[in-house]
Amino acid sequence: MSFSALDFRAVHLPPSVGQLRQEVRAFLAAERAAGTVLGRPDSWLTGWDPEFSRRLAQRGWVGMTLPRAYGGGGRSTLERHVVLEELLAAGAPVSAHWVADRQAGPTILRHGTEAQRNRFLPRIAAGTCFFSIGMSEKESGSDLASVRTRAERTADGWRLTGTKMWTGGAHVNDHAIVLARTEDAADRHAGLSQFLVDLRDPRVHVEPIRLLSGEHTFNSCRLDGVELADDALLGRPGEGWQQVTGELALERGGPERFLSTLPLLTALVAEVRRAGGGGPEQEARVGRLTARLASLRQLSLGVAAASAAGRPADVQAALVKDLGTRFEGDLVNEVREILPTAARSDATPGSFPELLATAILHAPGYTLRGGTNEILRGIITRGLELSR
Amino acid sequence: MSTDSPTTDFPAADAAALPPLDTAPATLVALARDAGYRGAPGPLAETLLVARPLLAAAGLAVPDGPLTVASGPLEVRFAHVDTGSRVGPRGAAGTDDALRVSGTLRRVPWARSADAAAVLTEGPHGGPVLLVLEAAEWRQTPGANLAGEPRDALVLLDVAVPAERVRRVPAGLVREAAWRSGLARAALIAGAARRCVELTVAHTASRRQFGRPLSGFQAVKQEEAKLVEEAALVAASVEAAASALATPESAEFPAWIAAAQATASVAEITRIAHQLHGAIGFTELSPLHLATTRMWSWRDEDGGERSWQQRIGRYVLDGDGDRLWPSVTGG
Repeated sequence: MSFSALDFRAVHLPPSVGQLRQEVRAFLAAERAAGTVLGRPDSWLTGWDPEFSRRLAQRGWVGMTLPRAYGGGGRSTLERHVVLEELLAAGAPVSAHWVADRQAGPTILRHGTEAQRNRFLPRIAAGTCFFSIGMSEKESGSDLASVRTRAERTADGWRLTGTKMWTGGAHVNDHAIVLARTEDAADRHAGLSQFLVDLRDPRVHVEPIRLLSGEHTFNSCRLDGVELADDALLGRPGEGWQQVTGELALERGGPERFLSTLPLLTALVAEVRRAGGGGPEQEARVGRLTARLASLRQLSLGVAAASAAGRPADVQAALVKDLGTRFEGDLVNEVREILPTAARSDATPGSFPELLATAILHAPGYTLRGGTNEILRGIITRGLELSR
Repeated sequence: MSTDSPTTDFPAADAAALPPLDTAPATLVALARDAGYRGAPGPLAETLLVARPLLAAAGLAVPDGPLTVASGPLEVRFAHVDTGSRVGPRGAAGTDDALRVSGTLRRVPWARSADAAAVLTEGPHGGPVLLVLEAAEWRQTPGANLAGEPRDALVLLDVAVPAERVRRVPAGLVREAAWRSGLARAALIAGAARRCVELTVAHTASRRQFGRPLSGFQAVKQEEAKLVEEAALVAASVEAAASALATPESAEFPAWIAAAQATASVAEITRIAHQLHGAIGFTELSPLHLATTRMWSWRDEDGGERSWQQRIGRYVLDGDGDRLWPSVTGG
C-alpha cells in the first residue's frame, strides 16, 4: 500500500533561503522599533495595515512568485513560504494583501487573459490592489457547488446577481473574485464561472457582519445586478469549479494554518521568563507545544515543496490544515494551563491578558475557515481509498 | 497481550544483514523505521543509530556484529592503579585506562542477540567513560518489554576491560548518546505507526457491518483521518531529524523534537487504531498488537515523552531573548 501522506520527504532549504529569513527578521525588527504593531495572534485575518503591505511590497515580499514580467519577484515557492512563516510567527499585520498574494495573484496568472494579468498583477505585487474571496453564501458554506449567485449574459458582458457572505475585507479591499452560476447543468460542478468584480461598483452593497468579538472583518456582499464587461470573466465559462478547487489548495496548506496563535505562545514564553523561568510542569507543556509546532512546520514545508515540484498536494494540504488548526486552538487552551490568566479584551492592547482574549475570541474560526475540518478529513480518507 | 518472545519466531539480525559503517545517516534512519514497521527482532536501531556512531565518535573500534547500548552506574576501578600518582585518592589514576568493572545494567535491549555492548558509565577518574563489553563477558538475566522484546539485565562480575576498549569521553558525548537513543526510538515508532495505519485502513475497508464497509461510515472516516494525520506528523519529525544528521552539530534539537513528538503521538495513534479494529485488534488474532505493544514500550524506554518535552521546554525558556521560533527554524 502506498500512503503519500506518510512518505514524507525532508525539505532542504538552500542557504540563500536562510539569508532571506534573516533579511525578513531584520526588517521586522526595524518595523517593531518604528512602532508597527506586531506580535498579535490571527494578524493575517485582522491585522489590516495597507502601508505595511506596501513596505513589504517594496522589499519584494508581495507577489514574490509572480513572474518579473508582471511586476512580481520571480522567486520560488519555498522562498515565499519562508517569508510568510516569518511574518506570521512575528504576528505582523499582513491581512490587507493576504488574499491578493495567496490566491488572487496566482489564480489570475493561471487563468487570466494577458490583459487581465497586465491589469492586476503589477498592482498586486506593488501592494496597492487588495482582494476579497467571493465564494461562500448563506446557503453555501462547505458545499460550495450549491452557490446561487448567477451571472447572466448581456449584450456586452454579464449581469451578476446574488449575495456573498463572510466576505473578509470587502469593505476595505478593491476587488473580489466571485464564483457564480452561469448555466444550469445536470452535474452541479459544471456551469460555474469566476468573475473579477470591482468592490467599489455602486451595485455592490457591502454590509458588515460583526464577529462575536465585535470586530468588523466579515461582510455580506449583495450583488444587485452588477453590470460586468466581457473581460470580467476569469478563465473559461463553466470551469469555475476546477479553478476554485485549485484556489482552495493554495488556501489550505499554507503556514497560516498552524501559526495563527504562535504570537500568544511567544508572549507566554516572555511572561514565564520575566517571572524567573518555569517549573518542570511549565517546561513540559511548553516543550510539548514546541515539538508539535516544529513537526507541523515540517509538514507545511512539505506541502510547499510538493507544489513547487508540481506534485499534487491536496491531501497533504488538508492534513496540515486539520492538524494545524486544531493545534492553534490547543495552544490557546494549553497557554491558559501554563500561566492561568483571566482573558480581558479591555486590558492594555498587546498585554498578555488582551492577546489571550483575542486568541480565545477568534478560536472558533480556526477550524472553520478555508473549509471545515470535518470536510477536510473526507479529503484525507478519499486519498486513502485512491491509494489502495 | 502477547508475551511471546519474537526471538522464538524469527532469526535475530546477523552481521551479514547490517549495512556498512559508511552508510548515509538518513538511510540508517530509514532502516530503523523499517525495522519498527516490521517489528524486526534484534538491536538494529541501537546498532546503527546509537552504538556505532558513539563508538566511532569516541575513536573506539566498532565491532562487526549487532550491538546494544547501556548506561548506568557501575563499580569501575583502574585495572593497573598508578601507585605513584598524587592525583586524588589512591585508585584515582591508572598507568593506563584498562578497567575492572562490576555491577548490573538493567533492561538492555536485545542483549542476548548482541555481539557486544557500548556502555556509558562513570569512570574511576571521575568523568564519563565509554567502553565496549563483549557478549562473553557478561551474564544475562532475561527480561522483556510489553511486546515481549528482550530487555535483559547484564551482570558484570569483575570484568577486565582492556584499555583499547575504553575511552574517556566529554559530556557532549553523553548528551549525544541520549538524543541518538531518542531518535532511534522515534524512528522505530514512526515505522510502527505506519503499520497501524495500514492495518487499520485494510481492516475498515474489508470489515462489513450494517451491510457496508466500516470505511463508509462518516464517524469512522473522521477518526481514520486523524490517525493518518498523527502518523504523518511523526513521520515528518523523524525525517527532519534524519536529514539534520548530515550536520551533527545541529542535529540535537531536531532529534529532541522527533523523540518528543513520536513518544507523545503513541497514545493517539494506538487509541484510534485499536478503536477502529474493534474486538479482533485486542487479541492475538490480529497483528495489530505487534505494533501497538511495541509502541507502548518504546515511548517509555529512553525517558518518556515528559522528559523530552522538559528538555525542549527548558531550552526554550532558558537563555537570552526569544528562542522559541529560532529554535524551530534552526536559527
